[in-house]
Amino acid sequence: MAEEGRYAAQVTIVKQECPDADEKEVVEEFRRYEEEFLIPPEDALRSVVRKFQAATGIELKQIAKPERAEKKVDRFSDLDADDRNVTIEIAVISYTPRVQMVRGEERQVAFGWIEDNPWQPGDQRERWDFKDWGEKAENLAPGSIVRLEGASVNEWNDKRSLNINRTTRVTVLKEGGAAAVQISDEPSSIADASQREGFVNLVARLISSKPDVIVKRDGSGQLDVFRGRLGDSSGTISFLSWVPLEHEAGTVLKIDGASIRKFRDTPEVNIGDRTRVEVFHDSAFVSMEDLEQSNKVSISELRNGMRDIEVTVQVESWESRSFVSDDGTERVVRSGDVMDPTGRCRLTAWCETDPSRGDFLHLTGARVQYWQGSPDLVIDDAAQITNLTDAPWEPIDPEVHWVEIDLTSVVSGGSRRGISTSGTVVAVRPDSGIIERCPECRRVLRDGACGEHGPQRGEEDLRLRFVIDNGVSNASLLLSKDASEAFLGTDQESIKKEISAGSSADFVASLRERLIAKRLIVKGRSIVDEQGAMLLADDVEYDATSAHDAANEVIQHWGVIL
Amino acid sequence: MMQQTPRVGRQSAIRIFANEYRDASLPEEGSGEYDPSFIITKIGAKINRALVCGVIDRVERREGENGPNYSGHIRDPTGTHLFNVASFQPELHPDFEELMARYETGDRFLLALVGKARWFETEDGGIFTSLRAEEFSIIDKECYTNWLVQTADATLRRIDAHSSSLESDLNPAALEAAGVPSDLVDGLILARGHYGDFDSEAYQVGVLQALSIATGRTNVIETEAEDAPTLEQSTTDAPTPQAPSEPSDAVETIIEIIRSRDTGQGVDYNDIVAALVNAGHSREDAEDAIDSARDQGEVMEPRFGFFQLVPE
Repeated sequence: MAEEGRYAAQVTIVKQECPDADEKEVVEEFRRYEEEFLIPPEDALRSVVRKFQAATGIELKQIAKPERAEKKVDRFSDLDADDRNVTIEIAVISYTPRVQMVRGEERQVAFGWIEDNPWQPGDQRERWDFKDWGEKAENLAPGSIVRLEGASVNEWNDKRSLNINRTTRVTVLKEGGAAAVQISDEPSSIADASQREGFVNLVARLISSKPDVIVKRDGSGQLDVFRGRLGDSSGTISFLSWVPLEHEAGTVLKIDGASIRKFRDTPEVNIGDRTRVEVFHDSAFVSMEDLEQSNKVSISELRNGMRDIEVTVQVESWESRSFVSDDGTERVVRSGDVMDPTGRCRLTAWCETDPSRGDFLHLTGARVQYWQGSPDLVIDDAAQITNLTDAPWEPIDPEVHWVEIDLTSVVSGGSRRGISTSGTVVAVRPDSGIIERCPECRRVLRDGACGEHGPQRGEEDLRLRFVIDNGVSNASLLLSKDASEAFLGTDQESIKKEISAGSSADFVASLRERLIAKRLIVKGRSIVDEQGAMLLADDVEYDATSAHDAANEVIQHWGVIL
Repeated sequence: MMQQTPRVGRQSAIRIFANEYRDASLPEEGSGEYDPSFIITKIGAKINRALVCGVIDRVERREGENGPNYSGHIRDPTGTHLFNVASFQPELHPDFEELMARYETGDRFLLALVGKARWFETEDGGIFTSLRAEEFSIIDKECYTNWLVQTADATLRRIDAHSSSLESDLNPAALEAAGVPSDLVDGLILARGHYGDFDSEAYQVGVLQALSIATGRTNVIETEAEDAPTLEQSTTDAPTPQAPSEPSDAVETIIEIIRSRDTGQGVDYNDIVAALVNAGHSREDAEDAIDSARDQGEVMEPRFGFFQLVPE
C-alpha cells in the first residue's frame, strides 16, 4: 500500500530493532507523528523505536550508529562533522569570554582558538575555533594544554569548530598563563571590571543613587530604576539597578553577580533581581571625599554615554538658537566650543546660561553624548554651572590650541577634537579629487545618483582621502575642500582643470607620487568607532623633521653605538 | 544580546628590512574568509602589510592566462624584497608599465612600496616570502632615509621585545609584564614557538647601516644607486648557457633560497627547483641554472642533492 510504502525505510529499521513489533502499528505510529505531531518520519524514528522497544520489552539501547560512543582522536582532521563525544588533547591559543542570552537567560560563554597536536611545534598543528558553553575559563587559560572529554564538533558554513559543553571534562595537562577571566567569588576592582563585559562581584562605595524611570520603547509603560555611581580605590563606574537600591550614599556595598554592560562607549554595572547586594563593613575603604575627586575628568577622557561627571572648561564661543520642538513649544538651546589643556569639545546647555568667550566654567553632573561623532558635554540645569573667577590655567589661545598625541593613542582612545597627530601615508584612495554631492543630503553621488534621493544634479566638492600609518596603528584621513586646497596649494577650479586635461586617475597618480611614504602632521578631530579611526583634518602639512635628527633620536632612545 | 564580532580593522604597515622578512618562515593563515593572514618573523613581527623602500633592482613582466603580471626586487641595506603586481590588479598596471619603461632605459631609482604579505610553500614545507603591491611610488632620497630611520626604530623595538621575551614566560600577561608592547605579543609567542635559537645580531647590522646612512656617516645609497648598473653589467657578462631563462635572476634566487632555508643540512635540490619554477622559470632552465651556479662556484653541493652557500 502506498501508505505503508511511504514509511517503508523507517519501518524496516524499527523492525530490525524490535522484531516483535506489529508492522501496522509501527506505520500507524509514524503516521501519527507526521500528521498529529508534525514530525517527519526521519525525525520520529528514534521516538518510535523507543516506544516499541519499551512495548515489546526489549532493553532500551542505542539505535542506529552509537552516536554517543567516545571518539578518541589526535588530530582535528580525524573528526567528522557529527561527532558528539570527542576526546582530544589540544593547546589553548586564545580565550575570549562574553555574555550572551541563551534561551532568555544571561550566560557567560567564550570563544577562541585551539590547536591540535599540542606537544608539537606550531607548524605541525591545525587551528580550530571553539566555543565554551560550560564556563570552563579556569581550565582553558591561553597557553595551556588540556584534554577535552565529551566535546562536540559543530559545522556551520562548511567551517568546523569544537563545542565545549557543560558536560565536557577539561583536564589541564600543562598550565598556561593566568586565566583570561576569573569566574570566582573574589570581587574585582572597578578598573578591572570596566575592561570587560560579563558577570562581576564588586565591593564598592555608593557615591550617589537616585530613582529614575525608563520609558519602554514600545510605549507599554515605564520602569522604575535607580541610577548612580560606585567607586573603589581603582576608579568609579556608573550603575543601573532594576531593583530598588535605597542605601544611603556613602555606604560600602558588597555586590555579587552584577553584570557589566556597555552603554554607548561607557561600561556600566547592571544590578538585577539575581544580584545580591549587602552592606559591607570596612573602615579602611577609600573615603567618600577621595571618591568624589575621581568624577573629575578632562576633555580627553570624555566618552559617549558618561554621566554625572565633573569637568572644568574654557569657553571659546557661545551661541543660542531657538526651535520648535515636537510638541509645538518653542525651546532654546545654547551651545558653544569649549577647551581645556587636553583638547576641545562642544558644550550644550538646556538651561539659561550665557557665558562669554574666555570664561572658565566648572560643570558638575554633566553627561556626554556624541554629536557628529565627537563628544558633546550636556548640561540640563544652570545649577550645574559655576563661572570661576580664578583661572584654573593660563588662558588658552584657541587659534594655536592643538594637543599633540601619537597615532596609536588616537586610535585606541575616544573621539577627540583639537588634536595634532602624525603618520606616514600608505594609501591614497582613488576617489580623492572632485566629487559630486547630493544637494539634499550631501552624500557623495555614485553615477549621478544618490542612494537616498535618486538621480540628482550634483554639487561639486573637493576632498582627499588617505590612510596614514605609524607601523603600529593606522587611520583614514579625510581632507575637506578647505583643507585640501590649503595642503595642495591650489584651488578646486585648478584641480578641476587639471583633471579635465588628463583624467582623475592621473590626478590620483600625481597624489601618490607626492604622498606615498611621506610623513604628515595632521591637525583636526578624530572619530573612533568599531570601524577604526578617522581623522577629519583642519590642517595638514609635511613633517619637516630631518632624517638626521630622527636618526639621532632613535640612536639615543635605544642606546645604539655606531 | 548576541554581540556582533567587530569587523577586523585595517592592518598596519610594518616597517621591515629585507633580511628579516626573507628569513621568516612562519605563515599564519586566518581561519575565516575575511580573517587576515600573516607572516611571522623570527623576532616576532606579525606581517599582513608592510611598507618597504629601496633601489629598484630588476623588474619583469609575464604574460599569464589572465593577463600580464609583474614582479620585481627592491634592495635595501640588508637585501632584496621580492614583490609582484598581480594580473587582477589592472589599476596598478599603467603605473607599473611606466616604471618598467623607466627601468629599461637603464635608470635606477628609489621606490616605496606598500604590499600585502604573500608566501609560497614548497612540498616539504619550505616558505618563501614576498609582497603583493598595493601602492608604490618613486621617492627621493630624503623620503628613503626617513624610512630607513623608521625601520631601524621598528626593528630595534622588535629586537628589544624579543630579548625581553627570552627571560619571560610565553604568555600574554607575562610578556606584557616584561615590557613587550602589546602589538608584538602575539607575534612573539608564535615566533618563539616556531623558530629555534638564532642570533638577533643579524638584524642589528641593518639597523646600524640605516642609522649610519641617516646620520651621514656613510653614504651607501649613492654607491648602491651607482652599483646597480654595474651589477647588471657583470651578470650580463657571465656565461649564459640558457639565454631565455635569465640565469642571473635564477642564480640570485638560488642563493636566496639557500640562504633563507639552510639550517646547516643544506637545501634539497628539488626544493630549489620548485622555488625556481614558481618564480617563473621552466623546470629545464631551473636545473641548468642550479648546475651552472654550482659550476661557477656560487653555491656548493657538499653531499649529493643538498646545496649550501660557499663560505665567504
